[in-house]
Amino acid sequence: MKRVSLAILVVLSILAVSCGNKQGSAKSGQPTSRLLTDATGIDDKSFNAAAWRGILSFYGDTWEKPAQKGKLYDVVTAQTQDMYVPNLKQASDEKYDLIIVTGFTFQDALTEVAPQYPKQNYMIVDVEGIGQPNIMEATFSEHEGSYLVGVAAALKAKADNIQNPKFGFIGGVPSAVITKFEMGWVQGIRSVYPNASLVDYYANDWGKPELAKAQAKNWYDSGVYAIFSAAGGTGGGTINQAKEYRAQGKNVWAIGVDSDQYEDGIYAEGKSAVLTSMLKRVESATQYALQKVKDKSFKGETVVFDTKSDGVGFSDKNAELGQDIVKQVNDIKAKIVAGEIKVIPTYAAAKEAGLAPDNLQALDD
Amino acid sequence: MKADSSAKPGRIDTILANDKAVSLIVVLLGLFLGTILVALVGKNPAGMYSAMLQTLTGFDIDRGTWNSRYIGEWLTASIPLILCGLSFGFASRTGLFNIGAEGQYIAGLTAAQFVALYFPPIPVLHWVVALLAAALAGAFWGGLVGWLKAKFEVSEVVSTILLNYIAFFLSRWASMQIPGANTYKTPNFPQTATLSSPFLESLTNGSRLNLGLWVAIICCVIYWFIIEKTKLGFELRATGLNKDAARCSGIKVTSRITISMIFAGMFAGLAGAVVALGSFGYGRVLGGLDNYGFNGIAAALVGNNTAGGTFVAGLLFGMLASAQPLMQSRQIPKEITWIISGLVVVLISLRAGARLFLDWRAKKIARASEDALPGENAQPREDRNG
Repeated sequence: MKRVSLAILVVLSILAVSCGNKQGSAKSGQPTSRLLTDATGIDDKSFNAAAWRGILSFYGDTWEKPAQKGKLYDVVTAQTQDMYVPNLKQASDEKYDLIIVTGFTFQDALTEVAPQYPKQNYMIVDVEGIGQPNIMEATFSEHEGSYLVGVAAALKAKADNIQNPKFGFIGGVPSAVITKFEMGWVQGIRSVYPNASLVDYYANDWGKPELAKAQAKNWYDSGVYAIFSAAGGTGGGTINQAKEYRAQGKNVWAIGVDSDQYEDGIYAEGKSAVLTSMLKRVESATQYALQKVKDKSFKGETVVFDTKSDGVGFSDKNAELGQDIVKQVNDIKAKIVAGEIKVIPTYAAAKEAGLAPDNLQALDD
Repeated sequence: MKADSSAKPGRIDTILANDKAVSLIVVLLGLFLGTILVALVGKNPAGMYSAMLQTLTGFDIDRGTWNSRYIGEWLTASIPLILCGLSFGFASRTGLFNIGAEGQYIAGLTAAQFVALYFPPIPVLHWVVALLAAALAGAFWGGLVGWLKAKFEVSEVVSTILLNYIAFFLSRWASMQIPGANTYKTPNFPQTATLSSPFLESLTNGSRLNLGLWVAIICCVIYWFIIEKTKLGFELRATGLNKDAARCSGIKVTSRITISMIFAGMFAGLAGAVVALGSFGYGRVLGGLDNYGFNGIAAALVGNNTAGGTFVAGLLFGMLASAQPLMQSRQIPKEITWIISGLVVVLISLRAGARLFLDWRAKKIARASEDALPGENAQPREDRNG
């Protein structure tokens, strides 16, 4: 028995010596990185997919052909929430130059693990305030992007000669982040129609499109012209209702969020019920962090991706938006970049500045 | 004529008659088929085995490092599988098909979270009460099924499946009522509620291995003792083997069914508590099923519904779950661990096939010896061997 275990030990140590220590970064000059995701993986068509796209394009690969996956970068999906901490520790053991996680679901796990690996670089998207020296926190100026789509929707109403147009906002679960979307939207509309009537609704859920659909139908019937949803999967209901009504010839619009939802709104050849989408480019955040690691200038900080850094923006894919409106919105975008227009992210401050009505349900906690 | 020479009770009969041996063969077969699949998709199966080795020993061949934390994480992942396996196995011994371990797990998890948040933070007592509450909640959720079955003959398969969803949504709703909770989590537990054990953590280099390990071991002993050593266990098994015969011999079959489901629910409820208090520092508002209850079924099937077998099988499935991220790190598709688990569960039905084969062999052997009786020069009867 002793001899057997000795033999096994010898074999193992030979294997260890022969295959140990492969470090990709030393050879190619490119940093190594790992994306950790929740159970939905990189096929979630949202956050994880966007982060993954950013990684792919940083290394010059494509979604279909991730040639350097496994050499320079890879992804590990956690099947259950109790795997977040072990997966973070495992990735830290394996010494990637950068470990990327997305969303607040990873916040607790990262807060626990990061101090245990002070030399390991981490990046988390959409979370701020952990404040560790080895975590880069990427957040977005959603209010600026939402302002742009608000302006676009209001200008479109003006171009269509709508009398007293009303505008709606559908949120997921109320929170400070969603309030940024709503405030941007409200200020954008009021910059065109200072007295536009505004309504809002919170579904208190990210995955209930039927709630958004019922609310959207109700509002469209009562004369609401465009509805902006920042509600995850719930927002799909708004788009579906807008599709139905546009197919029947009613002039109403849905506004997409996060990624360009133009395709989701197509109801006829070349016609989409999604007028424009507020773009939140998570991919630019992962690319930025990887570049920082490559330049050896990575540090624990909160990086805000705003209009200036092209972290947020609007989509001009829908031809019905028209060249004229696109140009006007781009002018406003330039003014935001230049600092001539300041968009207020919180409800309290927006109310104080007289830019938001009192009847909204937004929360600033 | 060849068959005649082998028509004696041989080694194959002994192996196939042994449930443990069949389980082992099935697991090896599952791994073997998994290996072929990995090779077929163009990946190196060695990565699969080095990931498993790292899970079991903490030794990372590819990097030449050793870290005992991986062993701790493996055991941690195995605990709920063992407990949910006991849940399925206990009911199974009484002839019940408990697919409701998931719901009983959620009931236990939710109860443990509430005690963790609202019971005064007294050291030791806090988590003990949380475990007891979880056991009771699980027992209630399981007992409900047993009672419905015993009283109204409601099929436990249907009622457990439905109760799984009720438990899930009830847990979500109840947890969201806690002040400070959002759609994802509740506030943090006080430290006294957690099952963390500094001793086990230091032994495994800071893994989340916790007191749940002892809970699982104690539950295995309780399971073994009740089923094998008590009158109650005998009655439960008798009910499982033949309900009518049991009733005729004076066993109160209906109450035994309820009792069996109460115990089954208790084990699953404890699994929920161990995950809630062992792996998390806050209460979760469940966004989806953890699936420990369902995966526990596989552990019980492979473990032949015995305490020891389920323990070992739980460690096996825990190893697969825990090796999954390590396999992904070696670019082995994560789906392979589910495929192996699935294959093992499907192949375990070979046991029924093995029984049929053994019956057939026994008959043949009996015939062969009959034929041999008239004398050495009896004609061999080819038609029978076809």
